[in-house]
Amino acid sequence: MRGRFSILAVAFLVLLASLYFNLSTGATSIGPAEVAGALFRFDPENYDHYIVLYQRLPRALIAIYVGVLMASGGLVLQGLTRNPLASPSTLGINAGATLFVVAGAYLFNLGIEAQGGAALAGAVFGFLSCFVVARLAGLSRDPRGLALILSGALISMLFIGIANAFLLSDPAGRTDFLGWVTGNINHVYAARLYRFWWIGALAFAGLLLLARPLTLMTLGHEKAASAGVNVVRVSRLAIAAVMLGAGSAVAICGPVGFVGLVVPHIVRPLAGARFGVNLPASALLGATVCLLADLVARQAFAPFILHTGLIMDLAGGVVFALIVKRYYLSPAVGRHA
Amino acid sequence: MRLGRATDGKPVLRLKTGLQIRLGNLGAAGFLGLLAVVVTAVALGVGATRLGIWDLPGILTGGSLSGEQAFALWSVRLPRALIGFMAGWLVAMTGAMLQSLARNPLADPGLFGLSQGSMLMIMLLIVFMPDAPKEAIPLAALAGGLCVAFLLIWLVGGSHSSGLAILLMGIAVETVLSSISSLLILYTPNETSYALSDWLAGSLFQASWTGIAALAPWFLLSLPAAFLIGRALRCYDLGNEMALALGEPIRWSRPAILVIAVLLSSASVTAVGPLIFLGVMAPHLAGFLSPSTGRVRLILSGLTGGILVVGADSLTRGLGGEVALPIGLSLTLLGVPLFIISLRLRALRNMQTD
Repeated sequence: MRGRFSILAVAFLVLLASLYFNLSTGATSIGPAEVAGALFRFDPENYDHYIVLYQRLPRALIAIYVGVLMASGGLVLQGLTRNPLASPSTLGINAGATLFVVAGAYLFNLGIEAQGGAALAGAVFGFLSCFVVARLAGLSRDPRGLALILSGALISMLFIGIANAFLLSDPAGRTDFLGWVTGNINHVYAARLYRFWWIGALAFAGLLLLARPLTLMTLGHEKAASAGVNVVRVSRLAIAAVMLGAGSAVAICGPVGFVGLVVPHIVRPLAGARFGVNLPASALLGATVCLLADLVARQAFAPFILHTGLIMDLAGGVVFALIVKRYYLSPAVGRHA
Repeated sequence: MRLGRATDGKPVLRLKTGLQIRLGNLGAAGFLGLLAVVVTAVALGVGATRLGIWDLPGILTGGSLSGEQAFALWSVRLPRALIGFMAGWLVAMTGAMLQSLARNPLADPGLFGLSQGSMLMIMLLIVFMPDAPKEAIPLAALAGGLCVAFLLIWLVGGSHSSGLAILLMGIAVETVLSSISSLLILYTPNETSYALSDWLAGSLFQASWTGIAALAPWFLLSLPAAFLIGRALRCYDLGNEMALALGEPIRWSRPAILVIAVLLSSASVTAVGPLIFLGVMAPHLAGFLSPSTGRVRLILSGLTGGILVVGADSLTRGLGGEVALPIGLSLTLLGVPLFIISLRLRALRNMQTD
């Protein structure tokens, strides 16, 4: 048990280190003393303090928020559906949010503020339609949950297609959205973070409270029920929390894939199957991954700034392929797949 | 030539050479051919410039047109309809070939990432070697498609190709490729980016007679190809072992068919961009109209694909107002629901056989 908790401590230290690197590295390098000064003794006369506090810190906070919610959401979804490919991005949440934001902006002229709410509604809608389609496509007869992932992919294609139709209809408006649609961590969206952070905090706290019944449910629904877990209620609550949390993350910085899919796979061998340890560990690692991805996106092709979401999509596609190969195409599962 | 009955009692037409065609399929082909002509006529009539369907016979018999009408007909609508038909034909035929080859009713050049591979290679050529000659573009498309095909075979291995897993793998490959192309789009200048993403979505906007001249050879090539490989596909429908037992030289005919399929699909990508879902939709609809195998299935699927593209295009042009949807997009919007329905049917069938 002590080993598990020391993993959490190590993950926390790594997160702090990557936060520091994220704040100090950039077009102008800022030393540790200055970073600490900006955070704790803000001096309005100091230009470096401005950069840290108003440009880099919001970015870093957004990255942490997105990382925490996406990674913990992915972990819970993978546990609930017992499917290694489940994650907020593969189950239609991203596509639904994209569709609602773009459609809202084009049809009803929603401002920046209302777009956040639209994204949240869209995330919920996308997730629900993914489940409905999976049910239609015969999920109940499919033990490995392939139909769920496939319907997520189909829903994404459909929604992104409709969103693209809107974008193509107006070349001028398209440029404004191209950034958000590809998922971009940007300090411009800090205002949304300040409006939505409580949703994510509540969702994450709810998941932590559900950690014990969720752990029992990974043993099988009958076993969990015999241990006194109300399976239906727990899964509904957990799914609602994931939906709202991941939806608010998408609302802030656009669709970000990869983190929710991959981080749980890294965490599980290290932290075991207990959600009590697992969940904070994936949250910490998810935040670290997002901070580092943000750093890479800013620095790799400087002075150009790459879109964080695109980098993550690229990595996510590769990992998706690897997971399909390992879980669905290894010789032992050939008969079921 | 005489009329006879097939083993299942359906009427067939037997030719002297031993070739036999089912009357039902012949009727379906005739119906589809007629439908193609009608749909094309409608497509020629739809648009901003008024040009009724009833004017067409007059034009064909040497009637006169105003300058505006002549421009709309000869420079815009006719090339558009022809290119759309040929591209749809090619994609649908590729889909039918892949479905027999992989024994997977959901195979599609777009979903398997073949079109994305062709497209990415073309984009790389345009972005990094803008001076490259025009003739290099089809070659790049072919190379990209083949790379993806072999990557997929290597990743999946031959024995799993019938399941849903290969579809997921195809989607994974497609995701990676399209995120690379989005990266390229973001860093090209605004006008280029707009034109590129129009074409990425599959579009007939750039249809012209030179485009037709480039695509027509492939279209013509697909006819003898269908006759050559139709028999082999029939064998593959029965499974690898059965095909081997029926005398099919699997070792070289499988890769050969794959190369032909990629060739046809990359030709259509070069002309109009990727048309996802068409490769699944068209053969299924054709099979619904008249069940068939081998050569006949290829031809019927091709006809259906062409009709779908031309029809969807005139529909979006007629309804869309000033902004026309790219054809690939309207096919996706149409295709996803149909695809879900075919998944549903598949699940029902599995339930019955279990």
